[in-house]
Amino acid sequence: MPAGAPQTDDLGPWTEKVLPTTLSAVRQTEREVLGLLCDLGYDEDHLFAVRLALEEALVNAMKHGNGFDPERSVFVWYRASPERVEIRVADEGGGFDPDTVPDPTADENLERPCGRGIMLMRCYMDRVAFSPEGNEVSMVKHREP
Amino acid sequence: MDIETRREGDCRVVTLRGSADINASASLRETLLGAVEGGDTRIVCDLSGTDFICSDALGVLITAYLKARGRGGFLYLAGSHDHLNDILETTRLNRLFRIYPGVAAALASLRE
Repeated sequence: MPAGAPQTDDLGPWTEKVLPTTLSAVRQTEREVLGLLCDLGYDEDHLFAVRLALEEALVNAMKHGNGFDPERSVFVWYRASPERVEIRVADEGGGFDPDTVPDPTADENLERPCGRGIMLMRCYMDRVAFSPEGNEVSMVKHREP
Repeated sequence: MDIETRREGDCRVVTLRGSADINASASLRETLLGAVEGGDTRIVCDLSGTDFICSDALGVLITAYLKARGRGGFLYLAGSHDHLNDILETTRLNRLFRIYPGVAAALASLRE
């Protein structure tokens, strides 16, 4: 279990999930998070953005972080209000430096089949930050009025 | 996600309906790469019924595109709209793929 489970503040308590490193867990987690946001009145554009970013973060955690090792888990925390949603995803891998990921939008990288996950997370969420080790990502999406 | 394929002349139209998410990527890979490796190198991918696409599925499209191109063929995208177009623009993959408003337009371009 990664250290530093998020603290509670004005947004209320976090919901915590411990996922097996299996891709089938991705869709179920998305359903739960999006269901919460739907109940809070988030529109389709916001739901799409959060779904995409969450999917990318979870797949990265399972694939690159945990190496699809079934003995490892992915940890997810999320909480939301009508104004914003916060999500954290952590894996049990050794971490990485997200700044070393090549820019997938550069001409020389367009034909690469991988490497777009982090860029999509950053484009579709309002804030994306990695832990110093690189094995935990936190994301925030604000719901404009 | 449902994947259907059909022939239109000498083209293979691959229609994706639903979400091209991580769970659908394996089927998409099998269908598209299987088509190319089976000799179908002229492919139109119908995205008009696709409501979501993840980076893994984008990677499958790119791989299939490169394989088709390497064999003298092509892979066009057709019918993408709304969020999918945003993703294709954000990733600049609209510079890599030819994107048509629909399958009919893609097929018509081949007759020009």
